[in-house]
Amino acid sequence: MSTRADQLHALDDVSGHRESLWSKAVYKFRRDRAGMWSLAVVLVYMVVAIGVIFGWWATSWAELEGGKWEAPSADHWFGTNIIGQDIFDRAIYSTRTSFEVGLVVAVLATALGGVLGALAGFFSGSWIDELIIWIMGVLDSIPFILFVAAIAYSLGDTPYAMHIAMIATFWITAGRLIRGEVIKLRGQEYVEAAHAIGVPEVVIIFRHILPNTSHILLVQATITFVAAIKSEVILSFLGIGVKEGMSWGLMIAESTREVLAGFFNNFLAASALLFGLVMAFNMFSDALQDALDPRTVAGE
Amino acid sequence: MSVSRGTPLLRVRDLAVEFATPQGTVRAVDGISFDVHENETVGIVGESGCGKTVTGLAILGLIPSPPGRIAAGSIQFAGRELVGLDEEALRAVRGSDISMIFQEPMTALNPVFTVGSQMTDVLKRHKGLTAEQARREAIDMLGKVGIPAAARRIDEYPHQLSGGMRQRVMIAMALSCGPKLLVADEPSTALDVTTQAQVLELINALQDEFGMAVILITHDLGVVAETCRRAIVMYCGKIVEKAPIEPLFDRPRHPYTHGLLDSIPRIRADKLDRLPTIEGRVPDLLHLPSGCRFADRCARATNECRAAEPDLRRDGDAAFACFHPWEGAA
Amino acid sequence: MELLQYSIRKIIAGIPLIIGVTLISFLLMVYFGPDKTFDLLGKNPTAEEIAEVREQLGYNKPFVVRYAEYLRELVTFDFGRSESTGEPVTGLLARTIPVSAALSLPGFILGNLLGVLLGLLAAFYRGGAPDKFIMASAAVGMSISFLIVIIAFQIIFSSSFGLNLFPVRGWSMDTFGDYVRYVTVPTLAMVFVALGYNTRFYRSVIVEEMNRDHVRTARAFGVPPAQLYYKLILKNALIPIITRIMFSIPFVIISGSLLIEQYFGIPGVGKATYDAITTGDQPVLKAVVALTAILLVAAQLLTDILYRAVDPRVSLR
Repeated sequence: MSTRADQLHALDDVSGHRESLWSKAVYKFRRDRAGMWSLAVVLVYMVVAIGVIFGWWATSWAELEGGKWEAPSADHWFGTNIIGQDIFDRAIYSTRTSFEVGLVVAVLATALGGVLGALAGFFSGSWIDELIIWIMGVLDSIPFILFVAAIAYSLGDTPYAMHIAMIATFWITAGRLIRGEVIKLRGQEYVEAAHAIGVPEVVIIFRHILPNTSHILLVQATITFVAAIKSEVILSFLGIGVKEGMSWGLMIAESTREVLAGFFNNFLAASALLFGLVMAFNMFSDALQDALDPRTVAGE
Repeated sequence: MSVSRGTPLLRVRDLAVEFATPQGTVRAVDGISFDVHENETVGIVGESGCGKTVTGLAILGLIPSPPGRIAAGSIQFAGRELVGLDEEALRAVRGSDISMIFQEPMTALNPVFTVGSQMTDVLKRHKGLTAEQARREAIDMLGKVGIPAAARRIDEYPHQLSGGMRQRVMIAMALSCGPKLLVADEPSTALDVTTQAQVLELINALQDEFGMAVILITHDLGVVAETCRRAIVMYCGKIVEKAPIEPLFDRPRHPYTHGLLDSIPRIRADKLDRLPTIEGRVPDLLHLPSGCRFADRCARATNECRAAEPDLRRDGDAAFACFHPWEGAA
Repeated sequence: MELLQYSIRKIIAGIPLIIGVTLISFLLMVYFGPDKTFDLLGKNPTAEEIAEVREQLGYNKPFVVRYAEYLRELVTFDFGRSESTGEPVTGLLARTIPVSAALSLPGFILGNLLGVLLGLLAAFYRGGAPDKFIMASAAVGMSISFLIVIIAFQIIFSSSFGLNLFPVRGWSMDTFGDYVRYVTVPTLAMVFVALGYNTRFYRSVIVEEMNRDHVRTARAFGVPPAQLYYKLILKNALIPIITRIMFSIPFVIISGSLLIEQYFGIPGVGKATYDAITTGDQPVLKAVVALTAILLVAAQLLTDILYRAVDPRVSLR
């Protein structure tokens, strides 16, 4: 015989389980040396990006400060570019661009994937599920670069065509994962208990089920962040990405006219900073995945 | 029926198997010794995690390494030491002198190869048969384990067979090279009750025909009673009692064996009460108590039991590891 | 017969996907896309001229009619002429797709083959030094942008600052020697970029297969490691491997090499697509999108048929 109190207790049990997953994950993550180091590197990049936003540094990235292709010096750490702009400032400024793109896309794409995935999973088998699966399949089948261009066409001169295109395609992976997880969770006791005591479906989905997939969403957000900054660079290089400001992709595009003349500073500065961020974020994401995987245990 | 006292076919001494885990090293099998003689059936009984399957795998040198390894002890088969033997020599033994069959008939066979391809592969490798000879031999074996229309079924894939049929195929494969020893790890557990009995009968019948010894690993004392001559009871990686079947069932000495016997369901008209179970939980191998490993669950335990670990004491044909054994009948 | 019926069913099941892809791309690129009226007119056009051009472009027709027109083009596979060069779109695709295939396939094949090999190697030495080395290299490789690889490889292999062994850019398939000279550096770049992802994926697939019960059975029957890995485990791992490869092929042929073609100036369909993007050449874009969707449906069908060939449990229902 299960009473209302029992059913509420079942709900508590689940949140208790969730807390233990997170506290275990924190414990495991803190023991993961590579994970901690990568997190530190990511945080350094983040401070750099925040500094750019608040105008603490790299403010003169657009100014003409020196001659053409100056060698590295105390004034210009990475030298100057073809029209005499400071390469170091430009590379630092681009950190902000990367972080903006990464964060905006990661947060919105994962949120969208979470909501649509949860809806599809909860109503799996119904027309809602069919519709969402169809949309996923369709968006997955349009070549990414063409999709970005198409969005840019239809939106005209907005600087956010790239962001929108990325969000519209990157939510799919999260959506599929969450859909699967929600189908699994839907059959569990606490969801049935919630049903039994008359909790509305919307509340069940978004208060009781979706929070239980937060570990998947977090990992997916880190993976999406990396995908977004890598795509930004390529799209900006192709001229359909960042339109205002500076980005590593634009620097690399600039550098293609220089490298065959033997001037590598622009290319190296952008590549090194991009590589450092992507590598650190990849490692951070891996460590996070390990820490949140209930099958692995703490330690090495 | 007395146990033959010649040189044993299998002689295990002080075997210890360790697994490295992130939290530390775990001894899944901790210094066990036993003999298996030709043509006899010995049961190894215990709850899951007691080390019985690891013991079976160790005999074939199949401990996954890393993280596992045989830390100490010796396993002699027909006078030959198997511990420390190189992989190639072990491979020559596996499936030919010693065979093993597993619990999961659904997954133990490779799903993407036919029954015939898996069986002839073993025959070609160990007996050096040609493809044609191996096929004939395989069909013959399938017939012996009671698979109807063997010549047709040999070309089927495992998913086309029922669970019982698959376990018969496993047995046919295991016996195809005439092993001297068969290690059967819960061969009937995953099957339904009627099929279970058939499979156990089949193993017994073929044992006589092929003249091999069988180690039957199971959690089910009922299965042991029906099929084995002797039984070894394991708990937390150690042997707590070993004895011929009749005295073990009539007069179990170790409280753990006693508890296991009490928890076998028996049909008695006068008594349909709840089955007694053994209270408490199996201790975690990482955090073993200092004294007897069963002390925390044992009604007879005293301070002595918590202070020191009892050694295995001989008592005629039998042996047990307990300071306060049962004396009377169960 | 069973196969034919199955194929027809699969193709019909693929129609919603093709409808979806064409509908979305039509909406974005054409219906809400840039208005071409004034591109085609001279300065100070009269109202009649504007109306005439809009009539020609079909702008005054209702949405459904214009979209149906697109579908008709798709079915007859006649997308008209490129707006920027006047070349028939079908001819343009027939000219560029073979170039893209010749450019991408060596890298695609090598990248997957080496990925499987390294994945097997890492899985075999799981937890050991070779595994750690391979997986760490894969992690580094995955963190280097494709763009950086292309430029760096061009500097290293093709410029006077590096080995200076290959042409800097361009393309020719006139002789086999020419082909090798032009395809090598792009191939190396593609392999480098794909290898990290592939190795990681294949290792996890193989490790999963290694833990199956039937692998333990095989070991209990004395199967030697070479046979265990290359025959028993690999055949079981083929389903995820086939899936990954088959679903990449349409993108590899149509657009996967866009960046490389644009950077090295190779006249493949990727570069044609890029040029069409920058000039807003709608007939070409519509054709490329539709073709990708059709190829994906075909890949899906082919994948299912291949599943049947490697896994007896799969039936073509």
